[in-house]
Amino acid sequence: MNFLKFILFITIITLLSCRSRDKKNDYIFHDAGNNIEKAERFALYKKDGWTEVRIINPWQGATDVSQVYYLVKRGSKLPAGLDPESVIFVPLKKIICMSTTHLAMISALGEQKSIVGVSGTNFIYSPELIQNVKKGLIADVGYEANLNKELILKIAPDLIMIYGIGSESAGYVGKIKELGTKIIINADYLETDPLSRAEWIKLFGALYCKETLADSIFNAEVAEYQKLKTYIEQNITTRPKVLLGLPFNDTWYISPGNSFISKLISDAGGEYLWMNTKSSVSMPYGIEGVYLKGMKADFWLNIGSVSSKNEISNVDQRLNDLPCFKKGNLFNNNNRINTNGANDFWESGSLYPHLLLKDIATILHPELFTDHALIYYRKIY
Amino acid sequence: MIILVILLILDIFFGSVSISASEVIRAIFTHTNSSFETIIMRFRLPKALTALTVGVALSLSGLQMQTIFRNPMAGPYVLGISSGASLGVAFVILGFSSGINGDSINALGNWILVVASWAGAGAIMILIMIISSKVKDIMTLLIIGIMLSSGIGAVVTILQYFSNETMLKAYVIWTMGSLGNLTEGQLTILLISVSAGVIMSILSTKILNALLLGENYARSIGLNVRFARGAIFSCTSILAGSVTAFCGPIGFIGIAVPHIVRIIFKTSDHRLLIPGTILMGGAVMLISDIISQLPGSENVLPINAVTSLIGIPVVIWVILRNRKFSGSF
Repeated sequence: MNFLKFILFITIITLLSCRSRDKKNDYIFHDAGNNIEKAERFALYKKDGWTEVRIINPWQGATDVSQVYYLVKRGSKLPAGLDPESVIFVPLKKIICMSTTHLAMISALGEQKSIVGVSGTNFIYSPELIQNVKKGLIADVGYEANLNKELILKIAPDLIMIYGIGSESAGYVGKIKELGTKIIINADYLETDPLSRAEWIKLFGALYCKETLADSIFNAEVAEYQKLKTYIEQNITTRPKVLLGLPFNDTWYISPGNSFISKLISDAGGEYLWMNTKSSVSMPYGIEGVYLKGMKADFWLNIGSVSSKNEISNVDQRLNDLPCFKKGNLFNNNNRINTNGANDFWESGSLYPHLLLKDIATILHPELFTDHALIYYRKIY
Repeated sequence: MIILVILLILDIFFGSVSISASEVIRAIFTHTNSSFETIIMRFRLPKALTALTVGVALSLSGLQMQTIFRNPMAGPYVLGISSGASLGVAFVILGFSSGINGDSINALGNWILVVASWAGAGAIMILIMIISSKVKDIMTLLIIGIMLSSGIGAVVTILQYFSNETMLKAYVIWTMGSLGNLTEGQLTILLISVSAGVIMSILSTKILNALLLGENYARSIGLNVRFARGAIFSCTSILAGSVTAFCGPIGFIGIAVPHIVRIIFKTSDHRLLIPGTILMGGAVMLISDIISQLPGSENVLPINAVTSLIGIPVVIWVILRNRKFSGSF
């Protein structure tokens, strides 16, 4: 494992030192040739006949890590000087996804049929993909340390898309690479801006040679999001205060102010109570401090996975006395949830941030969107 | 005693939110309906009472186990109570199919964990009692208890291996212990069962003093050793079992406090040790709770980490001075 990392490290160093352009800064975002506008965790460089993908700091807490992959058109000659280990032949015909969040982006490009394996098929929301699981077109490859390596070998996918340090540390990555299967790490969930997260569809665009379609989906999303954001900014008079999450015992894990959800709340015309905090992970705060601050909240969103007020009381009866609870301003992001407990908020939600924005804005400012029925969110009674 | 009251008051004064002393007093003695009052009366007061009760219960059962096994390293959990409780909780949190995530377990309410933990600890206790009635030598029982704990630990490991991150996190947080999550009803139950355990311990003073001199001696002065063992075991399971059920496995207090008391009182007479342990246990737990709240910061530390950090130096000290201590057993 360490040896492979070392090899990878040497490869990256060699690649970087080869190009004078990169000498000044290892990770130039939005630089010449990079087709990525907002996302900070990956870059795409269109080259002559192939595409270079760089995944930057692909896991929580990673600094100065960059993984380079070369997407080469199927059937064409391998360009000289590229490390064959990092070459992925595109368009992909068979992919295994370790997270269900990537499925919506593949489906949006019309490439559902290429999904042949998923880690935890129970977590799939898309009814179409569930049908495919039932038909036996999508296999459950297990997860983390229990990954079914023999099944993966049998499926022989063009690519396995993984995420997070968990996958690296579980040690299966090295083994699979050794068996000759290509792996790419997806870090979309680390993007803290809703549009940056949606931009990861461009990675799939490159993997399926559908760049134009991916670009147009993303550009439409940006236009729609910006339009809503401007409309909200111009029409709101107050910024309701928002509380998030649910305590566990006497600890309340608080999403930091530089998180995805905090950005959405702010764009939707709300004020997240911890908007000024900064952290790369959820912060364990004492329940009494959160409770005290929570008394100022007008709305309470993303309340764990509860679907009734009763469930909140069961967690801690004292929560009943929060003013937002008494007012009934409780909304959770589990409106689209199926019988297995799979939540579409995490599946298609990342691809359509403007819908998330509209939902939250409708909750906080109902007068702005009188005809919008909530999609991902629902009121908790 | 006075120190204990002072610590109880300090624990109410210091929390993760800083509230001025006058505000605290106003919140306690007047009905202002302010948010500070909610924090003091519904968060800090129950938490301080829980800390006090937990400290007393764990230290007492630790003392009893050290005496009955005549082993300075014994604690409330040598009989496998905490591992039994962990198994019950692990089955609830980790054992369910991966289709459910930790949050939905959370939403089932905190009673489910309490019941699971009781059931697990109770099952192990019954097993130990049965073995205890068959086995003559107390040391054999100690070894069986430790083996049983390791075996259960292995089952929990298997459950952990097959669970996803959310479930793992929920379980790990449970094992870190918590004092502040008891509802008023649960606190009442904890207080009642611990009081019962404390009364039983006070009644067992003579038995413990006799056992200290060895089971043979105890027998020679007419003590029914099997009955005595059973009584003390049930007392410990009430004390440590209820604490573990409501607050999770809280470590080291049970081992460390009896030693602190022996050092201070320089005696091995339970007529002094029992009241001493009750006071010291409560005090140490209150101090731990104050530290875990990290007064002045929004973050908190898991209580188990704090008790271990206080307990470990004491245990090391005991090991280093073991020769002197062997006289006490």
